[in-house]
Amino acid sequence: MNPDTTMTHPESLTGSPLPRRQFLGSAAGSLALATLLRDQGLLADDAGDNPLAAKRGQFPAKAKACIYIYLEGAPSQIDLFDPKPKLNELDGQPLPESMTEKVRFAFLQKETARLMGCPRTFKPHGQCGTELSDYLPHLATCVDEIALVRSMHTEAFNHHPGQLLLNTGSQMFGRPSIGSWLAYGLGAETQNLPGFVVLTAGRGTSGGTSNWGSGFLPSSYAGVLFRNQGEPVLNLANPGGVSSELQEQTIAGVTALNRQRLAALHDPEIASRIAAYELAHRMQAAAPELIDLSGETKETQEAYGLGRAEPELEGWRGGPKGCFEAFARNCLLARRLVERGVRFVNLVHASWDHHSNLDRELGLACQMADQPVAALIKDLKQRGLLDSTLVVWASEFGRTPLGENRKGFEKVTGRDHHPFAFSLWCAGGGIKGAQVIGKTDEIGWGIVEDPVHVHDLQATFLHLFGIDHLKLTYRFQGRDFRLTDVGGKVVNQLLG
Amino acid sequence: MFSSRFWLRREFLTLVVVLHTIVGRGVADDIKPLPAAVDRAVDFTTDIRPIFAKFCDSCHGADKQLSGFRLDREGDALRGGDSGKAFEPGKSAESLLVKYIASLDPDILMPPEGEQLSKEQIALVRGWIDQGAKWGVETKSVTGQASKHWSFQPVKRPAPPVVKKEALVRNMVDRFVQARLESEKIEPSPEADRSTLIRRLSLDLLGLPPTPEQVAAFLADTRPNAYELLVEELLASPHFGERWGRHWLDLARYADSDGYEKDSARPYAWRYRQWVIVALNRDLPFNQFTIEQLAGDLFPEARPDQKIATGFHRNTLTNKEGGVDPEEFRVAAVVDRVNTTATVWLGLTLGCAQCHSHKYDPLSLREYYGFFAFFNQGNELDLAAALPGDDKAVAPTISEIAPRRPTHVLLRGDFLRPGDEVPPHTPEVLPPLGVAADQVATRMDLARWLAHPQNPLTPRVTMNRVWRQLFGQAIVPSVEDFGTRGDLPSHPELLDWLAAEFTLPTLEMVPPPRPNTPPTFRGPWSLKRMIKIITSSAAYRRESKPRADLVDRDPKNTLLARQNRLRVEAELVRDQALAASGLLHPAIGGPSVRPKQPAGVSELTYASRTKWVESAGPDKYRRGMYTWFQRTSPYPMLMTFDAPESNIVCTRRERSNTPLQSLTLLNDPVFVECAQALGTRVYREQPADLVPRIDRLFSLCLARNPSSEERQTSHDLFQQLRSTLARSPTLLGKLIGDPPVAENAPGAQPGATQKSSTSSEQPLTDDQRLDLAATIALSRVVLNLDEFVTRE
Repeated sequence: MNPDTTMTHPESLTGSPLPRRQFLGSAAGSLALATLLRDQGLLADDAGDNPLAAKRGQFPAKAKACIYIYLEGAPSQIDLFDPKPKLNELDGQPLPESMTEKVRFAFLQKETARLMGCPRTFKPHGQCGTELSDYLPHLATCVDEIALVRSMHTEAFNHHPGQLLLNTGSQMFGRPSIGSWLAYGLGAETQNLPGFVVLTAGRGTSGGTSNWGSGFLPSSYAGVLFRNQGEPVLNLANPGGVSSELQEQTIAGVTALNRQRLAALHDPEIASRIAAYELAHRMQAAAPELIDLSGETKETQEAYGLGRAEPELEGWRGGPKGCFEAFARNCLLARRLVERGVRFVNLVHASWDHHSNLDRELGLACQMADQPVAALIKDLKQRGLLDSTLVVWASEFGRTPLGENRKGFEKVTGRDHHPFAFSLWCAGGGIKGAQVIGKTDEIGWGIVEDPVHVHDLQATFLHLFGIDHLKLTYRFQGRDFRLTDVGGKVVNQLLG
Repeated sequence: MFSSRFWLRREFLTLVVVLHTIVGRGVADDIKPLPAAVDRAVDFTTDIRPIFAKFCDSCHGADKQLSGFRLDREGDALRGGDSGKAFEPGKSAESLLVKYIASLDPDILMPPEGEQLSKEQIALVRGWIDQGAKWGVETKSVTGQASKHWSFQPVKRPAPPVVKKEALVRNMVDRFVQARLESEKIEPSPEADRSTLIRRLSLDLLGLPPTPEQVAAFLADTRPNAYELLVEELLASPHFGERWGRHWLDLARYADSDGYEKDSARPYAWRYRQWVIVALNRDLPFNQFTIEQLAGDLFPEARPDQKIATGFHRNTLTNKEGGVDPEEFRVAAVVDRVNTTATVWLGLTLGCAQCHSHKYDPLSLREYYGFFAFFNQGNELDLAAALPGDDKAVAPTISEIAPRRPTHVLLRGDFLRPGDEVPPHTPEVLPPLGVAADQVATRMDLARWLAHPQNPLTPRVTMNRVWRQLFGQAIVPSVEDFGTRGDLPSHPELLDWLAAEFTLPTLEMVPPPRPNTPPTFRGPWSLKRMIKIITSSAAYRRESKPRADLVDRDPKNTLLARQNRLRVEAELVRDQALAASGLLHPAIGGPSVRPKQPAGVSELTYASRTKWVESAGPDKYRRGMYTWFQRTSPYPMLMTFDAPESNIVCTRRERSNTPLQSLTLLNDPVFVECAQALGTRVYREQPADLVPRIDRLFSLCLARNPSSEERQTSHDLFQQLRSTLARSPTLLGKLIGDPPVAENAPGAQPGATQKSSTSSEQPLTDDQRLDLAATIALSRVVLNLDEFVTRE
């Protein structure tokens, strides 16, 4: 149907001459993974018609699921994750020209820019002693689970290209997101829910669906966006007058007729639609139970921050009234999704783009996110799910140690984009926690130890799922594409 | 000498650490002879630049310079990399570059993985080096010299290519398509059958399915030009303006509310929508269509409808939140107007030049603000303007302020950082504006310049979009970007022929549909004329069935050996269900309406002040394009089927395929109601016999008869559904959707005539009620078929 993907879809329900899953290696000679797995008896034969049937990776996986918390806009690492006492000493000083002459900024005027100290207090936490700022008091109680990477870097300087690079491995439009690659490579452990679910709170991102799209992969692998207002999924109940038996017969009838059409046309998009109806039917049974949080204990709900008082949000970029509740609910839903076999849950919140008024803006954002995210880690751990669930906190880049002196700003109250050195963290799913990876210089400008590129991180994530990032490829327009583009190196230090 | 647009990029990248290993591989079993250099003159911009961009730039371009080598700038390319000089002009055979790309080196092949250069491409690179490796003039364009980029060149009507199989050519369009297929030795698919064609045409031109009667008439039409006559009939339908108007509204980012936090209602936004529908139905020439929307207020004696046309640029978002700087949002709106205009008419991502000179296209920061200056004088004005037959209503328009507001370059795009003052002017790389040096150019000048036949971009960009709407894929896939980073056209000559034909027609018109009506004259800039030409081509009429033999050779169907199967747009999913069921209220135009929503949607939106009060009467069965579009909580069904969010210009919609779409078609109250009405309709038309009822159901929904297998499946399914329903009499009444006769009278719904009329006639027996209910259940199945939401 979509000309961009027609005929590259791997599935056919009818034994048609279309190629099956094109887990092809690159021209450089890597192996066709699916064939390999099938030959070795690793890929279940009943993988059959369901494009999201569970499959195993190339080597034993630590992670079975991923909760990918994506804070769009670039949270300030200086104010959260990477303490720089020297920066406080140099507050108000210019940066040596040698450092700025070769860089550009979105808004900052480098001639008059001054270093801006950080008013937060950093303290060591946990047994490992990882330092976090006082804006993240709840997360501070989880540091022994966390690998904090302080040496991230990226090429992208502006938001949307940066978002695409982080989420799809390329600054260009039209590539599959990391969740799509995983759903494509491994399917899902559930037949009853989408393999890849997206939950947003607040406004969503400027990049929108391109951050969780399936690109040139078949549409069955795209993230399924649940609603962020009211019911997460609409139309789950059978309509009046339709019993579950009648509904089942209806869907079976739709499928039977669609199969006849597929047999005549061999359009893989029809196979995707058949799969979508079957999944929709199973979601009708599974999703109401999934989204009904009333079975969660009061303690659990409170731990995630459901029902807590929300501060006054007037003028806040992070979202309208109700945003705190929505984010907390999403975190709890994420655990429930993973518990039920969903492969990849993307929690999205925007915007952490604090060019100005950083103290209040970031403060509110952290208030919103800190408690539910920490509760999620603890909850996963307590339920024995953390070992198999990779939890990631990430954004497209970081923020400058320089204050943003945009002309017209009365005061310098924020920081500009900084792709050269930023922080993110991951936990669970085979990640070695209780450690800090990488080091930045004394003002947090550049990386001095163990740089980790976005592609390296992506390669590492795939590795945790038992996939060699060089071998998870898809041939499109005559070229084998992969998540890590032409880069990527597994960060061994991250592996437990 | 290479333009400044690259060096900024390089600067910040020097800090980026790049980790990469070049993967070498043995090619012992794959030694190729070195292709000879081409013997024709090689042009860097058209022949070589695209090759480097495709194969080399990702590792040896602005972002990365692996092995210290950069190939996107003359100086760097000549200098070479860590392994020495890449080439000496004049000596291609000895050059490392050719060695690597032609796999003559056993250890190094470029690119290291993925698609390799073809022999022809290697021959071009060799030819280019041998001819002196000249870089062309493209690099100087920012300083004012002409670019050699293809889309900036004047449109020239190409000579029709020679094809071997004349029988496969219906009109000029086919010559270009067929010539290309022949050069690739691909046979095109056969023509689709007539019922497919009439459904395809009806959906593409009107957005509505053909009625079974229309299908029957077309199948029985033996006139040799029956197809062309059908096209004419559809072009004359007032639904044409709705269908093509909705495409245009995507570009115009049309919505019924302000956006942002408050998201206040815009109760008169529809006046602009109305204008679009009427203009397209009248086939207002596209140059006029352009001028009225961009500068309709500036005609000396501007008519009200011309002023309403300027509502195009009133669809920008408005922020009324407390504490916002009005100037900031005024500038934001102007920026959006600039970017939208550039995208819609020029296919240029001018937005990039807002903060810095464009990195890839020859557009400077100064030129951006020169363009900006045209729109900087615009003032938002709500005009009391009555159209014939309307109540006196307000229409959102743009007017010109006086005195002029000076325009400055805004440094880094920041409205608080004005730089030099700039006069209104157009990008230098394009033909001149033609305004005397001592005159200040106006928005009207800009509009006329955009709509001038010598503007190379407007007709190309417009025809490319029209093509996409009729084939599901465009000749230039990046419909929004005709710049140097955009895609190259798959059929450049076809695109130019269409552009030339659009602005300066040559073809004769086909006779009109009815014998006694005069021929419709369609002159320059007629969209209907070009749609007629394209839809009359053999290429358009082909079967859409995917072909196994082309999976590898042409996976994206770029060469158009067949048509494409396309999931219909969100609005059409709704419209088709309403039309098939007979519920559709086909009124054209007017204010937006609020159809039924699933429970729990409107109560929970943040923009609670604009409460969703369901429209009364037939208004709730209007076409999807009339559904009230509240930006912060858009109608869920539309969004589930990929309607644009309408915050910025949308040039191409997604076509996703998700379980949420399945849930909507199965369970959304609107579609349930459609199934009830459809089932009731076909039951009443064919109460006695099941097989004709099944056939009727297929005709209404799919414009064709079922195959014998489908008929059998539907038959068996009906019996199965019927026996299930027989076991649950309480559900039966709910599924039929009709309360018992006695209770029905006061609450009868005016729109659902078929539905309520069942009860007003002879009461049904229990058996008949069961038949009716099972027919409704079967109708629900058909409304959920893949084919129902697919334009074949």
